[in-house]
Amino acid sequence: MPEVRIIAKNFMDMVASLPATKLDNLYHNAFICEAILRSLPPLAKKYVLQMLYIIEPIVTTSMEAWVAAEGMSKHRVAIDKLVQLRLFTETVDRKRETTYRLNPTFQKNLQNHILHGGVLPREPMKINVRLPSSADLDAYASGQWESFLLHLISSTEAEATRNISSSMMKIFQRGLLSQRDREAPMLTESGFQFLLMDTNAQLWYVIREYITHCEERGVDTSDLISFLLELSFHVSGEAYNMNTLSHSQGSIVKDLADLGLVKLQQGMKESWFIPTKLAINLSISLSDASSRKQGYVVVETNFRLYAYTTSKLHCEILRLFARIEYQLPNLIVGAITKENLYKAFQNGITSDQIICFLQQNAHPRVAEKVPSVPENVTDQIRLWESDLNRVEMTPSHLYDEFPSRDAFEAACDFAREYGGLLWEDSVKMRVIVKAETYDHMKRFLRQK
Amino acid sequence: MGHGEKGRPSKRHKAKEDHRAEEEEVYYTEDFEDINQDGENKRDFTKLELKPDHANRPLWACADGRIFLETFSPLYKQAYDFLIAIAEPVCRPESMHEYNLTPHSLYAAVSVGLETETVISVLNKLSKTKLPKEMIDFIHASTANYGKVKLVLKKNRYFVESPFPEVLKKLLKDEVISRSRIASEGNDGFTISKSLGEIEGRHEELLNEAQLAAAAEEKEAHAFEVDPAQVENVKQRCLPNALNYPMLEEYDFRNDTVNPDLDMELKPQAQPRPYQEKSLSKMFGNGRARSGIIVLPCGAGKSLVGVSAASRIKKSCLCLATNAVSVDQWAFQFKLWSTIRDDQICRFTSDSKERFRGNAGVVVTTYNMVAFGGKRSEESEKIIEEIRNREWGLLLMDEVHVVPAHMFRKVISITKSHCKLGLTATLVREDERITDLNFLIGPKLYEANWLDLVKGGFIANVQCAEVWCPMTKEFFAEYLRKENSKKKQALYVMNPNKFRACEFLIRFHEEQRRDKIIVFADNLFALIEYAKKLKKPMIYGATSHVERTKILEAFKTSRDVNTVFLSKVGDNSIDIPEANVIIQISSHAGSRRQEAQRLGRILRAKGRLQDRMAGGKEEYNAFFYSLVSTDTQEMYYSTKRQQFLIDQGYSFKVITGLPPPDTGAELSYYSLDEQNKLLTKVLTAGDDQVGLEILDEDTDDVALQKARRSMGSMSYMSGANGKIYMEYNTGRNKGQMRSKPKDPTKRHQLFKKRFV
Repeated sequence: MPEVRIIAKNFMDMVASLPATKLDNLYHNAFICEAILRSLPPLAKKYVLQMLYIIEPIVTTSMEAWVAAEGMSKHRVAIDKLVQLRLFTETVDRKRETTYRLNPTFQKNLQNHILHGGVLPREPMKINVRLPSSADLDAYASGQWESFLLHLISSTEAEATRNISSSMMKIFQRGLLSQRDREAPMLTESGFQFLLMDTNAQLWYVIREYITHCEERGVDTSDLISFLLELSFHVSGEAYNMNTLSHSQGSIVKDLADLGLVKLQQGMKESWFIPTKLAINLSISLSDASSRKQGYVVVETNFRLYAYTTSKLHCEILRLFARIEYQLPNLIVGAITKENLYKAFQNGITSDQIICFLQQNAHPRVAEKVPSVPENVTDQIRLWESDLNRVEMTPSHLYDEFPSRDAFEAACDFAREYGGLLWEDSVKMRVIVKAETYDHMKRFLRQK
Repeated sequence: MGHGEKGRPSKRHKAKEDHRAEEEEVYYTEDFEDINQDGENKRDFTKLELKPDHANRPLWACADGRIFLETFSPLYKQAYDFLIAIAEPVCRPESMHEYNLTPHSLYAAVSVGLETETVISVLNKLSKTKLPKEMIDFIHASTANYGKVKLVLKKNRYFVESPFPEVLKKLLKDEVISRSRIASEGNDGFTISKSLGEIEGRHEELLNEAQLAAAAEEKEAHAFEVDPAQVENVKQRCLPNALNYPMLEEYDFRNDTVNPDLDMELKPQAQPRPYQEKSLSKMFGNGRARSGIIVLPCGAGKSLVGVSAASRIKKSCLCLATNAVSVDQWAFQFKLWSTIRDDQICRFTSDSKERFRGNAGVVVTTYNMVAFGGKRSEESEKIIEEIRNREWGLLLMDEVHVVPAHMFRKVISITKSHCKLGLTATLVREDERITDLNFLIGPKLYEANWLDLVKGGFIANVQCAEVWCPMTKEFFAEYLRKENSKKKQALYVMNPNKFRACEFLIRFHEEQRRDKIIVFADNLFALIEYAKKLKKPMIYGATSHVERTKILEAFKTSRDVNTVFLSKVGDNSIDIPEANVIIQISSHAGSRRQEAQRLGRILRAKGRLQDRMAGGKEEYNAFFYSLVSTDTQEMYYSTKRQQFLIDQGYSFKVITGLPPPDTGAELSYYSLDEQNKLLTKVLTAGDDQVGLEILDEDTDDVALQKARRSMGSMSYMSGANGKIYMEYNTGRNKGQMRSKPKDPTKRHQLFKKRFV
């Protein structure tokens, strides 16, 4: 069974994995401190606030006294997280007791923030141009994003609709597409799985690829990360002057415009960027259900699938595992069939991903029902998948033309002893032995 | 257009003798088609223009005749009633229904009084998009000729009636028709009368506009009289393969003064349910009685509909059933629901040859008794003669889907009736036979939605399950051997794992839930082995009427008899209202109808209504298990069989791991030794012994004797013309558009025009 390679990681996990010096550097930026605080699990958040004005290190034992016995596991998770992010520094004092204190830079920044209130990273411009309404902006963002995804599925179609710089495209799609010489690019296993993820998870995947790419070009990733986090503190729909950005930030913004994170506009003298919802959502943690879009799929007990959508992308995604039969102005009708599912399984999509996709995108009409996707359909999808996995492959060797029956039987016994005997045919004197016992067998047969 | 109705293998005209071979072939063809239709069947109608208030409208209509209906729309109920009148349901699960517009369905629409313009304008109102032009053209083309001409039997004179004199003139140009005409008073013009249009309009609540009001206006009807002796010929000439003005038959029973009235009323306690009322209103829509077919699931009270129709017409009624047992049941239903006196109703079967007293009454008999062509006893001959000579007010036909067309023709030509009502639960085929039904009996008047009836608590909410039983190694090895090709079925039915699963389920339901269980097995060998091993009573073709009655009585009343094994004799019409669990261990290949019929055995709702409703304490009180041996043909058939029920919104839950792995020797065939003994038994049995049980149409005069004579050997019992389940693969219920065109010469008139 193919392993699920894409784990929907969140931004903070990525931050946590940065080297210590870079991480410490990040905390000089007040916005990052705030973003990090927001992203913490509730208990960790509480500890940070509790220790905000304590300078002395606190011993573990007294911290453990804060929690009830049944909360210990949560306590440990919180502490681990804080240490991992270097928000807590761990020291062992003279009495050989572990103590924790808050990262001083982080602490100072956060104190300031509390005292003086949050400040926007930069002030919105005052211009006389009518800026796009929030609905327009949303449409722009989802349009850019969809065309990016469509590009993945069929490069030719998307090319015609929107013009995304192809070099950027390549970076964003790294790992999702594979291209053999001269052949058209193909979706990889991860690519297929990627399409079924929700938008936030997809966004993270792409941003991570982008960061890795920049790192390879020698750009300091902590700058990049801090700018990305900073971006999420801007106000969606407001215009920000491009001249407030450093050179490298300016080029980042241009790249992000391709994905629909920001919209670029140019006036008579000045040019500006307008962050969209996608950019604001960057710091929202993945599990946040409120950011989820409204579902559109209805699956019936007879395996028929009705999708209330006008999106070409949705149609292409459904096509990954279903047969599309009718396309109407605001409805797509299809059927989940064995053949289409087998195709999906071959592409490395798992039954769980399909079921999860169907459940997450369930139309409000059926979403409250338990289960939102009929049980017989989910069961069948799983059964079809497990049906494919009934044959187990064991690398092995066939031995025949034994000189005598004794030799044959001795070989069989030897293999059996090693637990390597798979099959024997005593009439024709043939035996199949597992590959892992090959060396033993070879030695044994040579001795004979 | 009308793609829904094609892709049927053209095998059906083969000789009747070789049905088993025929079926094989049919399935191969299906296989082939499955491969063919693998490609994407995309139909792109994104260009249709959405109306601004589309969210409030319940349906989409596609240019190819497909219609999608949202069931959660506030207009659902009205839209459903309308669609069921004009289109064929393809599938009707919970949230979204699919329908197909076909020439037949439009014929039915026209015959219940809907006019072309009404169909189009109502459809347009309900549609979220502008109606595709193709669909409008199709409706025009399909309805151009239908419903224009009526055949009315008034005061025992036959009239050809039409509001369009030009159509009558066209008809009279035909030689046969003009010869049949009885000129009135030497005058060449037509008799003109005012006839009442639709009174009980059922769509007003939806439309409340002028369109329908028009339908209720009085209209002028032009008519000419035809010679009663020539009526059949005239009808023939009007069929689609000739003049293509199929005649609607209506019976003005209130003005029929020639035939004596039958004094019968519905008893006060007989309260037709809303859907029964609705189906009757379609039949009696304009004060006359229309001929046609009413489709209601088993257990939904078809007999009350039949009895109500008879008591409304109040003339002599001939009721045809499929076998002697159901003749008894029909007679009982008549007495139960209506005030008919015992001497006004009689049964005519091989065992009972009664006659009613007085000049009007009800005769209940079987199709075979009427259509039988051989020599009859003197007594039967007399009764048949009476049936032949009488003018029946109503010809009531039960289970019309099982009776072959040739028999219908015969029955209908023998009996003279003013109005024909066909009843069935599963009109699953859209093959020539259904076409025949359309023109021999009349169009489908009403078809109920199963899920709505379940929701209303009118029929039981059945939990359907497919139980996967892995083949044991030894049985599977034999199954794969070429020499055993004739024993394949016996091998997968006798699979010890299946036996154990069956035994487990019987025990579970008998002991834990105190349920009453029917076990179905088509394979006679298996039926006998299972029943003997588990010590349960069984009924199959050779079981005599007396013994059947005894076993069924014990099953109904005794606390010790909770399970009964039935061969396919139990598929239709044996009424066992007590049963609430079905375990199916073998079945007739891919017959969707058999599956539905069997499910129907437990659909009769039991217990209190509120318990049965969703969320009630007995939400599921009926269980349908289909046991299949994995990796065998059975899996393939099983999927096919379920299709009809799935299209009605039922879902089959797959159960693996039965019996639970921790069960051991308490169930039979635990040890390998026992299993091998069973295997030997299967392998040594004669090929004919392990094959399918083939039944005669009916245990009638002749057939029953044949069966009795041949009790000694099972292989003889079959009887030569055992037809019963022939399943044709039609695209209709598959929900997909198949692209294989059928033989153009056999195509319906309208299709011919459209597929050149």
